[in-house]
Amino acid sequence: MYIRVKRSKTTYFIQCEPTETSLDIKQKLHDLIDRPVNDQRLILVSSGEVLEDSKALADQKLIWIYLTLALGQPDKKILRFPPDDNEFEEVNIVRPDDFYPSRDADAGSW
Amino acid sequence: MKKEDTVKLISAEGFEFVIHKDAAMVSQTIRNMLTSPGGFAETEHGEVTFPEISTTILEKICKYFYWNLQFASGKQTEFHIEPELVLELMMAANYLHT
Repeated sequence: MYIRVKRSKTTYFIQCEPTETSLDIKQKLHDLIDRPVNDQRLILVSSGEVLEDSKALADQKLIWIYLTLALGQPDKKILRFPPDDNEFEEVNIVRPDDFYPSRDADAGSW
Repeated sequence: MKKEDTVKLISAEGFEFVIHKDAAMVSQTIRNMLTSPGGFAETEHGEVTFPEISTTILEKICKYFYWNLQFASGKQTEFHIEPELVLELMMAANYLHT
């Protein structure tokens, strides 16, 4: 199976097994974005639920996940672990429709 | 998954899709871009920009790549395509040799 992890304008397609946990996903993301596991937070798109590290993917039918990263400088030496709730950035997903109107919108003009 | 094993596809609106190279190489066109000798910018940075392909279509294409990989391993499922996307998707598929 694969899951899609979305942050801002970027979508990561990640190949994984249903037996793997959220932590495994974060490890894989770490390889891609060079941010430590503790800086990452995965949020289920459908319910807004924050995924705990120990949860296996099979427990929930998740395909679609938002990623938020801890705020602050990546090179900050002392970062509290785990970071507080308010130290994470807001989920900010840009949708293509926001600035790219769908074709249907101007269909009437032909 | 290593960073070198992934490729970034960028849509007309600048949205980025990071997918596994194996998946991207379902497309013959992308395969050629990534494997041809001569040090193309695409090969070196693992980034391919498609100014012609909209985000919605490119996302669908990425899903197809992964579906195709699963299908190749023998698991048969349906790949859903919204009717309104069909035309653009076919044009993109033609371009990508998919």
